[in-house]
Amino acid sequence: MRTARWLLGVTICGWIVMSLAASAQSGARLWWAPGDGTPLADFAAYGNDRGTVGVLNTSGRLDTKGHPFFEPIGTNGRACVTCHQPADGMSLSVRTVRERWAATGGKDPLFAAVDGMNCPNLPPDDPRSHSLLLERGLIRVALPWPPRNADGSRIDPEFTIEVVRDPSGCNIHRTYGLESANPTISVFRRPRPVANTKYTTHQNFGVSPFIAKSGLPTATDPATGRPTSMNLMSDARAPTLAVQAQDAATQHLQLKGTLTAAQLAGIVQFEGQVYVAQVSSTTAGSLIEADGPPAFGPRQLAAGDAGVLGNNTTRYVFPMGGKWKQLPRNASEADNARNAARESIARGHDVFMFRTFWIRDSMHLNTVGLGNPTKRTCATCHGMHMTGMDTVNGWMDIGTTNLPWATEVPLNPWNEAKPQMPLFRVTCKPDVKPHPFLGRVIYTQDPGRALISGRCNDVGTIVMEQFRGLAARAPYFSNGSAATLREIVDFYDRRYNIGYSEQEKQDLVNFLGAL
Amino acid sequence: MVRHRPALRRARAAVAVWLLSVSVVGAQQPTNFVSCPIVRDTASVPCWLAEYDGELYFLTLQTDVSAPVTPPWLGHRVLVEGAVSAEARICGGIVLKPVHLSVLESDASCNTMLPAEERYNLTFEPPRPPGPSGGRLAFDNAPATPRPAVTASTREFVVFYPFDGLVGFTHAGSLTEILQFARTLNAREIEIVGYRGSVRLSNGQTMVEESTIGKKRAEQVAMLLKGANLTEPSYKVSWREEAASATGVDDYLSRRVVVTVRR
Repeated sequence: MRTARWLLGVTICGWIVMSLAASAQSGARLWWAPGDGTPLADFAAYGNDRGTVGVLNTSGRLDTKGHPFFEPIGTNGRACVTCHQPADGMSLSVRTVRERWAATGGKDPLFAAVDGMNCPNLPPDDPRSHSLLLERGLIRVALPWPPRNADGSRIDPEFTIEVVRDPSGCNIHRTYGLESANPTISVFRRPRPVANTKYTTHQNFGVSPFIAKSGLPTATDPATGRPTSMNLMSDARAPTLAVQAQDAATQHLQLKGTLTAAQLAGIVQFEGQVYVAQVSSTTAGSLIEADGPPAFGPRQLAAGDAGVLGNNTTRYVFPMGGKWKQLPRNASEADNARNAARESIARGHDVFMFRTFWIRDSMHLNTVGLGNPTKRTCATCHGMHMTGMDTVNGWMDIGTTNLPWATEVPLNPWNEAKPQMPLFRVTCKPDVKPHPFLGRVIYTQDPGRALISGRCNDVGTIVMEQFRGLAARAPYFSNGSAATLREIVDFYDRRYNIGYSEQEKQDLVNFLGAL
Repeated sequence: MVRHRPALRRARAAVAVWLLSVSVVGAQQPTNFVSCPIVRDTASVPCWLAEYDGELYFLTLQTDVSAPVTPPWLGHRVLVEGAVSAEARICGGIVLKPVHLSVLESDASCNTMLPAEERYNLTFEPPRPPGPSGGRLAFDNAPATPRPAVTASTREFVVFYPFDGLVGFTHAGSLTEILQFARTLNAREIEIVGYRGSVRLSNGQTMVEESTIGKKRAEQVAMLLKGANLTEPSYKVSWREEAASATGVDDYLSRRVVVTVRR
């Protein structure tokens, strides 16, 4: 036990040294503490390992003093900004998490027991109690079981669920777990970026009263009754920014009661005016030159059309405008290196857009008219103009949380690593058709949308996330299972047997890092 | 390159006719069977085929969700309800047109992927390439047209299903149409009747849908419309437990729900 604690301590020290070195390399970073009153500039750039990310506030300089997004309006000292940091592309990188642990000895409100700990019953100030946050940037999300409709009525789920293992202990805990008085399932997810929200909440193509992939009713905006895109959260449980803000205030900030109308309006307004994208690259230089590709930078995002399908050669997902395909060389090594990096980004775009592969056994993709398998490209699913999200309701199962594709620790006598994530066994009830690709019994680290819908076909489906500001907010996937952009590419290569060349992988990583 | 243009235009016209005609009921010999689907790669989009009684049939091409016939799934058997067309073979298969496909139960043996071969490449430009579409946007928003004034006080909608199927991706449009009509009409009553179908196969056997499917379909449509906040009208929901008799011709029409919207 003592050895394990010592080892974790040494590991964290290592992280901190690496983080500080990275910080020094990529320029100043800023931790936005709740209530510190620092004004938010109309545009600010923050360093990361691949260059700088830009944060554009279209309403101009914001006085954060007293602003509900920046003030600790709950009871645990957190604010919205705690997990949506400008330097992290309005999300939260694991690097920042580790820096906060080092700076505060784990006392920062970020590490609040309610969800910054693997389970609230664990001993405080012990890094092992926060291992999922410290190692993978994961926040605990506690959901009622069985799920509830928007009106609070119970949904009769199509499946039963059991806990196979839970290193956090939370799902088997008598107070917090599945067998508690208030049966609850804890899953662990990455905070999503609160930026570019006109895209995540668009009312354009694909938004209709019935979900285009299933025919089921679309969640509506409780304020207007209008259908929503349901692309805001990883499980689509909150249809609007206002619903999400209220839910987050209650769950994550431990606000007693509800947000005031003014607080809610302030948060929603701010979230609608912030745009985030990478603005410079350590190798390719500025990404936002006037004659550069029109895909890059937050200003292009702010000016772009939301909810437009870009999986075509008319609008493109990320329009490059034909730039950077072939750049001149001259006597300057620096210029040549920059131009080579830019060409790699352009090639990466073409891999994203045009490199076909067979997509197979992916729920809500192969089942929606394309056939199984379908020979398509990355842009088939990641088709929304400027963001790479889905335009229609975008939850799919690509295997990030469902076995056999989810990343699991290899268990053998020579490996001391232990699983970090919970594992659930889902059994579809006899009167329900089995999952078309996974059968009647499914093992999953996170049932995803199914914890909200109660549907077998939704097990392990996760709403795809926007591609912007990626370099600022590692790790990736909803469960933080990809530590780097390269690991994202490697996951897809493995999952779909793509057979990318090393050059294609590098180009794709460079492209993603420029977004 | 230029000299191929007339041929290309003809080919385009041919594929357009092929796509448009899939819903046209033909007088050809029905060919109904259950088999494993086969996917054959080409230099462009893959073809979907199936073998039956020693013959290879062309079912459809990979296009996108807007296509009138969408491909089946490997790992599952497929019910094919089609008619042999006089068109030239595609990807080596006799063209079934019109054709209706139902994905059936899982079957791990349905796993045949054939590599591309020059001799099976398409002789026409497919409706869309395997990657991004160029020019024609299958998903483009239809131009906004004013909704026609509702003059009738009653309208009947028919929703069709694959074999043993419930609501799926193909139904979002038809459900939206029902919903919008009912709202425009300020409907007071919605009557829903669910039907159970059967299909006569070419080998003489008859496949009958599961016994409660008519009930499930009717109740589900009611639930979906109510779930979309169409709660003002009264709902009258019923179903037929007996399966429609199968003839081998257009049996897919028996797998349906009829929704009558009244003011």
